[in-house]
Parts: sequence; C-alpha cells; structure tokens
Amino acid sequence: MKFVDEFRDAELGRALAGEILSLVEPGRHYKFMEVCGGHTHSIYKYGVDDLLPANVELVHGPGCPVCVIPMGRVDDGIAIAHNDGVIFTCFGDMMRVPGSEGSLLEAKAAGADIRMVYSPLDALRIARENPDREVVFFAIGFETTAPSTALTLKRARMEKLENFSVMCSHVTIVPPLKALLESPDLRLDGFIGPGHVSTIVGARPFEFIPADYGKPVAIAGFEPLDILQAIVMILKQLEEGRCEVENEYKRVVPYEGNLKALEVMGEVFELRPHFEWRGLGFISHSGLKLSAAYADLDAELRFNVPGVRVADPKACQCGEVLKGVIKPWECKVFGTGCTPERPIGTCMVSSEGACAAYYNYGRFAREREVV
Amino acid sequence: MSAASLPAPDTVCGSTHCITCGDDGEPMVVLKVDDELGLAVCGGDDGERSTVEIALIDLVSPGDRLLVHAGTAIARLDAEGAIAQT
Repeated sequence: MKFVDEFRDAELGRALAGEILSLVEPGRHYKFMEVCGGHTHSIYKYGVDDLLPANVELVHGPGCPVCVIPMGRVDDGIAIAHNDGVIFTCFGDMMRVPGSEGSLLEAKAAGADIRMVYSPLDALRIARENPDREVVFFAIGFETTAPSTALTLKRARMEKLENFSVMCSHVTIVPPLKALLESPDLRLDGFIGPGHVSTIVGARPFEFIPADYGKPVAIAGFEPLDILQAIVMILKQLEEGRCEVENEYKRVVPYEGNLKALEVMGEVFELRPHFEWRGLGFISHSGLKLSAAYADLDAELRFNVPGVRVADPKACQCGEVLKGVIKPWECKVFGTGCTPERPIGTCMVSSEGACAAYYNYGRFAREREVV
Repeated sequence: MSAASLPAPDTVCGSTHCITCGDDGEPMVVLKVDDELGLAVCGGDDGERSTVEIALIDLVSPGDRLLVHAGTAIARLDAEGAIAQT
C-alpha cells in the first residue's frame, strides 16, 4: 500500500537507525518526547526504540486523550448516564476509564443505557432514531477530533434536534506542552510533534517551543520510518545548532492546518478558563466548552453533574508517566495491580496509553533492560 | 460486572488501535457523495463502508481519497496517499 509499506521497510529502517547512531554524541544522553499517543503505540508496536542507541531515550507525552481525563469527569458522565431516558454515547476506550465508583462500562452493566460509537455522527443518528430519549455524546480528544464534534453540533442545530447534547471534554495540545516545558523535573532535548493534530492546527502553534524554550520539534507521521526520520531531523538540528519546527509529515500536514476546521471550532467552542488533566493538574485555557451560541446543547448545563474533583488513586503513578518522569514499568502497580484487563490508571486503559502500549508490546524491551 | 470480566481494549474498539481515541486518521475512498447533506459514503482499505462528514474538504467527488478521523474527513489525499488540499 502506497505510503504505508515503504514507511515500514526494514532495510530503510536500519539505514535510518545507522544515521541516528552517526549523529549522536557519545557520552551525551538525549531525551525526546513523542507528544502523541498514536506515536507511543507505533513505537512499541514496531519496536522503534529497539533500533535506537542506548543514549537516545523516548519519553511518552500526554497525547492520549483518554489518559488525561480525570476521574471526576468520568463520574460526571456516569451521573448523566443514570438520568431516566438518557442514552449516553462515547468512544470505546472511554468506557473502561475508572471513575471513583467504577467505569461507564460498569454503569452500563448496572442498567444505564451507555453505547459505544465510532463518531459523533453515530450519536446524532441515535438521537434521530430515538426522539423520545435524550442522547448525550461524551466528546473527548485533541484538535483532531474536536472539528468532528463541532460539525455534529452544527448539524444538530440545523436539523433542530432538541434531544441531542454534548458533554465536552475536548482538550488542546499547546497548553500541556507549555506546562511540561515549565516543569522543573523534566529535561527534554526535543519533541516529536503530533501528526494528525497538526493536520488541523498546522505547524505554526508549535513555533513557541524553539522560540521560547530552545527545543527542536519535528512533526511526524505514525509509521515507524516517520518516527525514525523525525529523530534524525531533531538530531541534525542539535548537531547543526539549529532550533526550529520541521515537518516530516508534509504528505499530510500543511503548515497552516485546516482553516475550515479551525473556523468551525472557533464558532462552536470556546476555551475554558482552566481544565483538569489527569496527573498534570489544572492547566489554564487547555480545555474546550461549547460557546454561548451552542450552550443549549451543552449536556453539563442540561443535566445536573456532581462536578467534584476526585484525586487519582494513591497507587497510580499515571501523572509521572504522563510527564515522562518515570517509565511505565517503573510504576508500583504496572503489570501487577494495574493491567489492561483491570486498569487502575487511565494510561493502562487506552491502547494509545503509554502503559497499555508498553504492556502489550514492550515485554522484550523490558527484559532486555532488566538484563 | 466484575473488573476481571471487562473486555480488553482491542475487543472494545474492534482493533488493537482505536482510531477515534488516538490521534489517528484512516485513508478512505469516496464511493458516493450527497452534496445536499454534506456527507459521503466512503470505503476503507479493509473494505468497510461508513458515512463521512465532508464539510471540511472542498469539492469532494467519488474516487477521491480522504483522511478520515472520527467520521470526519480532515484532509484530502492524492492518488499517492499524500495530502492534496485541505
């Protein structure tokens, strides 16, 4: 398949690994953060980290939209789902995220009408088919997914569907990156920028990273050679003393992003003053809510929600994993108390979560490092 | 339901990689366009068909390749799979 097979070519991968080896300075330790959960998944699935020299470390960032949802938001969703006549819809992985008293999947087992959808359009169809029921869509995701929710809300408005509403938990990518860059316990040498988020927002929003913090960025696709090439680009910047945003994923990411998507997001959403991120705490202007023009479709205004902040379980170290301070396997409960089948923390829930990705694909690497 | 009986992520999302939860896009081919509704029926490489929102892309026609995320086309791909226009 064009643009898939050649980006998984083993020979080219070995050539890029050789180039990486030639670019690293002996004795220097490099820490690069891959921002996106999709990258984390690919790195473990294809063993990209096995091709890297020992002094190049990949740190897994907060780019999994499921992993950053705090327990209190899950509780809010479950509270809405328990209202009489409500059909609560959400993406698959979100159903397994633990709240303080269980997950949406457990609420479904207890009788709430909670349904998995693949897109907000599916939720809208359910609303159309059930005019006597209230249908709520639990919207999560970064800027990649937010336009889809925005267009669905516009469609609901156009169709005058009054039984549809959205619990908006969309987040934006730049504020958490700023928070991480300000974090005293994290030293990074560069960023592998998110691929499809950048299809929407473009490359421009990441320019503050080299400009204000002096760190190189390479926006990358999701195939193994994309990620290796992005590492080459970052290492070359460091070697040549350059510091800028480069775009390895030009075949899909335009510099300006998708202007229509940005316009529709601007119409339907507005920034929350602050939003809680699991493990990272409250970050200013990092979450989206429905704009005043769409407030009548806001599920949090239509239904009573507890809105109570719930502390993460004490045993869970998702926060440190999300900040890249510890590796997944260094968490006290990784693979023992916390597994994909019985997750304690959200990083073990989503297949894009660093812990689940590592649990599913990383055993060989772990054994190698232990040895 | 006990925690032990919860399905693993791959059985929830139908694959080992949840395209809607991750920052992922799926290349799809446009099979049919409804200009009035602003929707298209698209087929994926796996043969599965789905309805796709096409409001973010100009002038969509059958045969076009689109990058689809969460039911919405976010970019047009050319015949080679690279971005053609947004």
